[in-house]
Parts: sequence; C-alpha cells; structure tokens
Amino acid sequence: MKNAKRKTLLWMLILFGVIIYFPGRMLARHHVNDKTAVTDHPLKCTSCHVYTSKNKFVTSLINEDYYSPFNIAVSHDGSRLYVVAQDTDELLIVDTESNVVLHQLKVGVHPHSVILNKANTLAYVSNQWSDYISVIDLAVSKVTDTIKTGNGPSGLTLSADGSFLQVVNTYGSDLSVIDLSTKEELKRLGTGSDPTGTALSPDGKKLYVTSRRSKIVPYGEPLVSDLTEINGETLRVGEHHNIEEAYMMENITFTPSGDLAMMTLIRPKNLIPSVQIEGGWMMTHGIGVIEQGENGRIIQLLTDEPNSYYSDPFDIVVSPDGKRAYVSNSGADRITVISVDSIRAILKETPKEELKNIANNLGVSSRFVIKRVPTGANPKGLALSEDGKKLYIAEQLEDKIGVLDTESLQMEAPIDLGGPSRITVARQGRRLFNNAGHTFQKQYACYTCHPDHHEDGLVYNMAGKDMGRNVTNTQSLREIGDTPPFKWNGKNQTIYKQDGMRFSTVLTRTEQFSYDDLDAITAYIKRGIKYPPNLMYNPHGELTESQQRGKEIYNRTKDNFGNVIPENNRCYTCHPAPLYSNLRTADVSTLAVTDDSILFDTPHLGNIYASPPYLHDGRAATLEEIWTVYGEDNKHGYVNDLTKMQLNDLIDYLKSLGGPEQEEISSQTQETASF
Amino acid sequence: MFKKSPYTSFIPLLAIIVLVISVQSCKPRSLEGMIVMSQSQGDIDSPDYLSGNRWRHIPESRIVALNVNSPEEPLSVLTKDFQSACAPKISYDGNSMLFAAQQNKNDVWQIWEMDLHNLKTRQITSSDGNCIDPDYLPGDRMVFSKHEIINVATKEKGYTLYTSNLDGSNLARITYDPSTYFASTVLNDGRVVTIGRTLIPEVKDAKLMIMRPDGTKQQLFYQSEANHHLQGRVWEMDEGSIVFVEADANNEMDITSISYNRPLHSKVNMTSHIKGDFYAISPYQENKVLASYRSDKEGRFALYGFNTQSHELGTPIYKDGEYHVLEAVPVVKRDRPKKLPSEIDLNVKTALLVCQDINYSNKQSNDSTTLTNRANKLEILGMDETMATFETEEDGSFYIKVQADTPFRMQTLDGNDNVVKGPSSWLYLRPNERRGCIGCHENRELVPKNAQPLAVRKDPIPVPSPKEIDSLKRDLKM
Repeated sequence: MKNAKRKTLLWMLILFGVIIYFPGRMLARHHVNDKTAVTDHPLKCTSCHVYTSKNKFVTSLINEDYYSPFNIAVSHDGSRLYVVAQDTDELLIVDTESNVVLHQLKVGVHPHSVILNKANTLAYVSNQWSDYISVIDLAVSKVTDTIKTGNGPSGLTLSADGSFLQVVNTYGSDLSVIDLSTKEELKRLGTGSDPTGTALSPDGKKLYVTSRRSKIVPYGEPLVSDLTEINGETLRVGEHHNIEEAYMMENITFTPSGDLAMMTLIRPKNLIPSVQIEGGWMMTHGIGVIEQGENGRIIQLLTDEPNSYYSDPFDIVVSPDGKRAYVSNSGADRITVISVDSIRAILKETPKEELKNIANNLGVSSRFVIKRVPTGANPKGLALSEDGKKLYIAEQLEDKIGVLDTESLQMEAPIDLGGPSRITVARQGRRLFNNAGHTFQKQYACYTCHPDHHEDGLVYNMAGKDMGRNVTNTQSLREIGDTPPFKWNGKNQTIYKQDGMRFSTVLTRTEQFSYDDLDAITAYIKRGIKYPPNLMYNPHGELTESQQRGKEIYNRTKDNFGNVIPENNRCYTCHPAPLYSNLRTADVSTLAVTDDSILFDTPHLGNIYASPPYLHDGRAATLEEIWTVYGEDNKHGYVNDLTKMQLNDLIDYLKSLGGPEQEEISSQTQETASF
Repeated sequence: MFKKSPYTSFIPLLAIIVLVISVQSCKPRSLEGMIVMSQSQGDIDSPDYLSGNRWRHIPESRIVALNVNSPEEPLSVLTKDFQSACAPKISYDGNSMLFAAQQNKNDVWQIWEMDLHNLKTRQITSSDGNCIDPDYLPGDRMVFSKHEIINVATKEKGYTLYTSNLDGSNLARITYDPSTYFASTVLNDGRVVTIGRTLIPEVKDAKLMIMRPDGTKQQLFYQSEANHHLQGRVWEMDEGSIVFVEADANNEMDITSISYNRPLHSKVNMTSHIKGDFYAISPYQENKVLASYRSDKEGRFALYGFNTQSHELGTPIYKDGEYHVLEAVPVVKRDRPKKLPSEIDLNVKTALLVCQDINYSNKQSNDSTTLTNRANKLEILGMDETMATFETEEDGSFYIKVQADTPFRMQTLDGNDNVVKGPSSWLYLRPNERRGCIGCHENRELVPKNAQPLAVRKDPIPVPSPKEIDSLKRDLKM
C-alpha cells in the first residue's frame, strides 16, 4: 500500500512538473523574446534578474571591488610607484623591487591624477568627484591635507619653481591655480570644454591645457576643439588654439628639449553619413604635434593604419632623450611606440598646405610607428622611470601595472595590485564597453562616443534611411538602467535589443556580441555607470533660492495668468521625479524636415547640465535655447508666459538635478561603482 | 524470489557506455594532423589565367592525404571516384574538406564536401557552369567561383562569385561587374579576398579584391606590378601578414608577403634569393608555411616547409617522381573568421552612393590656374552607354541612387564636358547597400575629411537602369 501511495505521489509530482514545465517554458520563451527581440537568446533567468539586480545582497554577491588603476607617478629613484586606484578611492604606494603594495591611502572620491613635488616628499592627488586635492606626506605615507579646487579636478602640473599647483577642472572647464604656500586657489582661468590634460614646457614658460569636447557649433559646421595656451610665468591665458576636426585630446606632454609638444586626439567623422566603416569612415585616432619654434605649426598625424585602428589614445609620454614617444591606446590594449625623430622629419618636409591632407592619411603612421606592444585590458596613464628604461602602464581593467622594458620593447611581468582575481559579469561588460574589438577593424569602442560612459557632445549623421536624414545627438549612458525605452525614437525596449543584431549591422558592422557578452555589457550599462555627484549646481543637496523658484515653475499647474496648464504641457508630467522621465515617447514639436516621422523618447534629466547640446539633433546649444529659440509653440512644456528671470530660475533648477539617489545620499559619501 | 541487487539498475547503463565506446573506437580514423594536397601529372606550366583551365581547375588532378608522421606510409588517394579534383580547403573545425571536382571527363566541375572522418563525399553544387575554388564561410556557408555569362550582350563568360549554404541551398550571387574572380579566401575579419580581373572593355591585370561575404563594400586590396600574375590563393598568417605566390613578368614564381594592416604598400618578396619556382603555399606551423616548390622548370613541384621569418626553405617533406604537388593544406582546426552582418535587403532594388568631393586628390593645390581643370560634372557609364550625366554640388559632392547589382563606371567632366578623370574601374552596389567614397583619389589610404557633403542635404539623384534607358529610347522613337 505504501509503495502504491508513493508511486501515485510520484506520478502526480511528475504530472504537476510537466504541467508547470511546458507552459512555463513557453511563457519564459515569450518573455525573453520580448525583452531581447530575438528568438534564440538562452533562457537564463540570471541574465536579467541577477546580473542587473539592484538588491544589495545580490549585488554584493555578484560584484567585486576592483582597484581600476587610472594614472601613475614614479619616484625619482624608481623605487616607488604611486597608483591612482579610481574605483576604491585610494592612492596605492607600490614598491617596484618587490612589486608589493606598501600602502593604500584613502583619498577623495573618484581620484584622477597624481603628481609628485620635485623633492619627492609630497604627492598631490586630484579627486574628480570630490572637488579637492589630497596632499600626501610621502615620508609618513599619510594624507595630511586637502585643497579645494574647481569642479571635477583632473590633470595636474606644478609650476617651474614648485610654488603653484595647476589643477585642470574637467566639469568646470577651467584651470585652478593653487598657491601652495597658502593652499588657496589664487585664480581660475577659462579653458576649452571638458579639459583633462595639461603640461608645462621644460623652461616653465608655457602651459597647455587640452580639451576633450569640441566647441558647440550648429550641425554641419566644422568641428573645432580648444587647446589653451597659458603663460607659465604670469599665469595668464595667452591664446586659444583651434584644433580642427579633432577632439578627445586627453593628455599632452613636451619633449625634454621643448621643441615639440605632443597630445593624443581623436578625429571623428560625425558629419559624414555613417554608411560604412571601411576607409576610416567613422573614427580615426592619432596625435597632435605643436611646434614650439617660429613656425608654431600644429600638425595632426594618424596612428591608425588602413586596415587596423588603435582606438582611444589616452596618455602620451616622451623618453628622456626625446627620441621616443609612447601612447596608450585604451580601446586597443596597445602601447604605440613612436619615433619622435621621424615626426621631426615629417614636420620638416611637409609644406603647410599639405598639413590637412597628411592628417587624413592612414599610411603616414608607417613612417613613425616603431612598434605596437600588447598590454593588459584598457591601458590608461603612463609613467616613465627617470632613466627612461621602464614604462609603467596603468592597466585599468586588468587591475595591474604593466611594465615595458623600453630597450627590448618587450613587456615584463606585470605588477599585480592584489585586486579580485574573479572577473565578474559586469566587469566583463565594462571591458567590452571599453574595447574596440567588437567593431569592424577595431575602429572604435562604445567608450569612444561615450567617454566616461557619458556622451561626447557630438551630433552624428546615423543615416537611418537616407544619408542626409536623422542626425542624432549622442546620449549619455549614465544611470540609464531604469529608463527604457532606449534610442531617441524609443524603439528599443531593452539594452539587449539596443546592443543586439541591428547594432552590429548598422554600427559595429562586425559579428554581433555573443549572448554571454550581451548579458555582460547589458549588466554593466544597466548597473555599472553612475552619475558623478552634481557638485557644480547642487553641492550640498539643498536648492538655492533661484533653484527653489525654478522647482515651483517645474511643478506648476497654472501659468502666470492663472490659467490651468494642460496636463501634457507641464514639465513634471513627462519628466516626473525621481527618474525625471515618464518612460514614454512624445511629440514635442522638434521634428526636423530631415527627420523621419517619429515620436521622441522622453530623456531623463539627471545631470542634464553636463550634456550639451540638447534635443534629439543637438540643435539647442544650451538649455535656455530649448525654449528661447525652439519652444515657440509651447509643445515642449508651457513656458512662453515666463519672464526672463523665471526662465533663468527654471534652468537653474534643471541644472541642479542629479540622479535618483541625489536627495538621499550626501554627495561626499556617494559610493563609487564597483564593477 | 531472487533479491534485486541495488546495482542491478546500473548494468544497462554500463552496457550502453561500453557500446558507445566500442562504436566510437570503430569509427574511421580522422585525417587530423595529416596534410591534404592536390596533385597533377599533367601540364600545369601553361595555365590559362582567363578561363582558369590548368590553373584553378586542373584536368586529371587528384587530392591525396599525406601522413607526415610516418613518411613510409603510402599516400592515401581521397578522390578515387573523381576524374579530377583540386583546390582543397579544410573546415574551421578540421572535420571536413571542400574541393572542386569533376566526376567524369567533360563533366562540369562542381563543389564537393568530404567528411574527413569517414571520407564520404557529397555534392554541394549542381550547376551548368564550372564551380571551383570553394572556401568555408562562417555560419555553415561557403564562397566559390562559378562560370557563367557576365555580359549578356556579347555572351562573354567569366567566373562570378557565389555563396551558398553547405547543402547547396540559399545560393546567392555576390559579384555583378564584368570581371572574373578566382581563388577566394575568407580573412579573419570575415571578408572575402579574391583574385579579380576586369574583362570589359579590355582585359586588365589581375588584382586582389576584397569584399564582405554579401558582395558589399568591394574594394582593391592589393595590386601587383604590370604583367605579374597572382598565382593562387592568399592565406592569412597568425601574425597578421597575408602570403601568396606571385609570378613576375618572366614567370618567376615567388612567395610574396603583404601586411593585412597596409596591403597596398607593404609587399615583400620573401623568396627572391631562392632559385626556382613556388606554386602554392598555406600556413602550417608557427612562422612556417607549406610550399610546393621546384628548383628548375623541368622538374616537378614537391612539398617543402618554408620559414616566413628567416625566409629559409627546409628539406622536402614529400617528393613524387610522377606527380606535381600543387595546393597542400594541413588538416587542423583554425580560428573561425568573424561572421559579418549583412545590410542587404533583397526587397530593395536600389542602392545609394555618396561621394565627398570629385576633385579630392592626394595633393590639394592652391594654384588658381588648375581651377579650370576642376571637374563639376559626373558621367555614369553603363556597359554600353551613358546612364546619367549631372552636375555635382559646389563642394564637389554627389549623391546618387543606382539600380542594385548593376555595373557602372564613373568619369568626371569639366564645364566643357571634357573628361577630367576616368573612367573609373567597375562598381556595383548590392540591394540596399549604402556606400561612400571620398573622391577620385590616387591615394587609397586617405580617409574622408569631416565635412557634411552638400549633396546629402538633397534627395539622391536617381540613375536609371539600362532597362529604363532602353524603354525611354523606345518611347522616344515612337
């Protein structure tokens, strides 16, 4: 009897399982097909429900805290490396003999650069998400002081006599000059947009600051970025040089003799219909060389080759003898070794009228590139030992410091910083995001158009149907995980679809991501990309009086004359907190004659101040222009009754908006990404 | 009753495992690690580079397997059932081989695939024209050359490129210009590189052309000196070079290396110091290729190893008094190339071409005297007639909509309709293909300047198809 009961129970369980399994599987298939827009994505619940989870317990299990080394300095005697660990907010002090991390010093949030004073007694670390410099006494290996800066401190230089610290403020687009005797900001000088790199000439007379974003111009006009030249002695802005057809000038350096300054750059092709990749049709990468003699020419040279591209050049350093330059190609996992003498020869023989053509010639690199040296994932900052024999490479997504023997040009054993050995799904996604390997001929990475996982400020001709139609403003990827649908027309319900088959057909034009890789990059984009704290417009989480007034206008239901504003024309209807998007599409009367007839996705407004130009085709250079120039019919919010002061208040409020977490977490204690 | 042992239920399972192992061990030996090569006793010294006879399809050739680990073992003839067989290509997993063969004398050459475990063959193509030079494409497809009419008016024939599934289905023609194409190879980046030779209006020297597997974005990959012949398939080495055999004007056949990164300006003759000729090569081991070589023109080609770093020829791997060793390939697994997505939409009958500046050349002259020679018109030439002539935009740009899969050439004209440059080589665009060029430039290493062409601010200029032109002509006559 017992056996019969057991058998019956067993059969019932099997029957129950079958009843659940088949319809369940069918439902799951339907669900996954809907999310991924394909019919063969593996039915793995973990893809969405674990890897992109926001649950703290789950995220603590699936993620790791990586160091993510970003920049380095090396001591005069070569015995110590000072490594900026961007994701743990630390400065790591490494013994180069034993390759051991001696000290881990907590600095500010999201540190960017480190510089040593001449005596090697102090280190200065710029903290991009804290707006201050950490001062470290190297004798005791302790942070002894902090110095307030402008917004988003990044690149650092010391004046020739060591009395001033010059700090590039990326978000503020200016340069803070710090008097180190008083540790006070002496002055702030305007630079180009989104600067990071800076270098002082060997004679101390000239200081350059490079910008990453180009000047905002109407679509179709030539792309120009600013190289700011500052008198190193008077600390006054001397000249703003126009660097044509280039942007993302990340870093700059001088040759030891001071005859040349050299910077990294990208030459994008955003004005050309994006119909192919072949022939450098989308992105090219190279260096800018600034002659320091009478000629003062600025020449651009591509480091790419006709069938091979070396994306996202980041740092550049020159050997002590001035013969070689080393460029880190972050998207290609390569160091490009350059003969500076060959560049001098090219400069000598190239007439000025041919400069533009030489900047578009993929064959020129064969004249000056000595070698491409493979590195670990995502090489960023470089530092040469004082004798020039070793090049240290911050391999950001490898959690290691690569070491290049500059005589043999062979990589030595890397210095392991001791980070997690496990590569999490999101970390793999971050690697994919930063690597150009998933684009035809490695011409560009996701990062190239989305630097800092944000956007590059350019409007591209994506050639949707015909070639002159549908120009689109690059969108920020910060905190977009909960703001579907995606793309300006909202046609992609998930990031799986956004980065799936069509993405490879029209954008990367090579084999699509494997489903494992698609899971990884989706996990990273959904949960790994954070807003920097909005310290510029909302440093303490409290609104100013103007912002308060702006908030009231944002939330108003009646106009200045007491008339009820139709619900669809109220700001908060389409842009409700905390995401500031209702996740729907709308017609806001911005369709251009060159656009296909579509509705537009309602973008979120977090850190909107950092994303000019505005509107889907970037036609509005500023937030103000959205309404003063393009909002005449009140369809994009009811604003035409506003006074100028009221509009200013509204703009002030919009600029104060951060991420959904802004109001809950103090910006100073905001956690950094752990991916 | 006999009490059941708890292990009784495992007995059938054990039996199944034993059975599976026995069946597995009875399977025919794979050719893994062996070298497969084509051989011929006949005349290979008078190849017809136009028809491919005695070059890409060789009468009475055969494919054999050589066990390099036991040289005393006789060759195993793999294509006993065929009159002729050549051009072996091994799949990425090393399990099968594509080849071209004719079963009986005077049969049409077809593409076949052999399972390298059981040596069974199956016919893939059933064509009325010769099908030769197959290579595997990712996604269980292949690319090959097929003999057919390339000019309907003159009935002139040549080899066009096709792709198909490995069962012969989903056949797709991918080249549409009056050129003949041989010896295709799929590169790691997923593109097809092939020996192309223009036939109309006159026969031109062969070049290496490269295109996506759907035929889009075809462009020049490598051009040798005048009167040189590209002898056979190209191969991509692990370190990024492309190697192949090239015959010079004196018919001296050497191994040439070019860089994938910069193919037009990186040629190295690796065997100029070696007396004798090379027939074909393929990658073998690190920095080593299999090479069919003979020291004098009277002798027969034998199989050697050649070091691509030291440029040294090794001792013979295999020699045969009766047969030439032609194309030899090792039976090994190799990396699968990228599977490229396709932009083709067969429901669309047209394609778009944008050009940035027809006057864009290597050197931008500031000399005003040259302005009179600047072109401001473009003429689109079809096979037999002008298809369209129109003025270009002020910046030299044009934007046209052409009939897909229709060959055309272009030439630029000045204000007096004098030809400034051209005609260009043949172009064709696939359905829904969108393509850009920077101008009629001599330097193919130039990238576009970052400037919006004025032409794309307007609708594309439609270029009528030859059929539409004929219809228009008929209407005018009426």
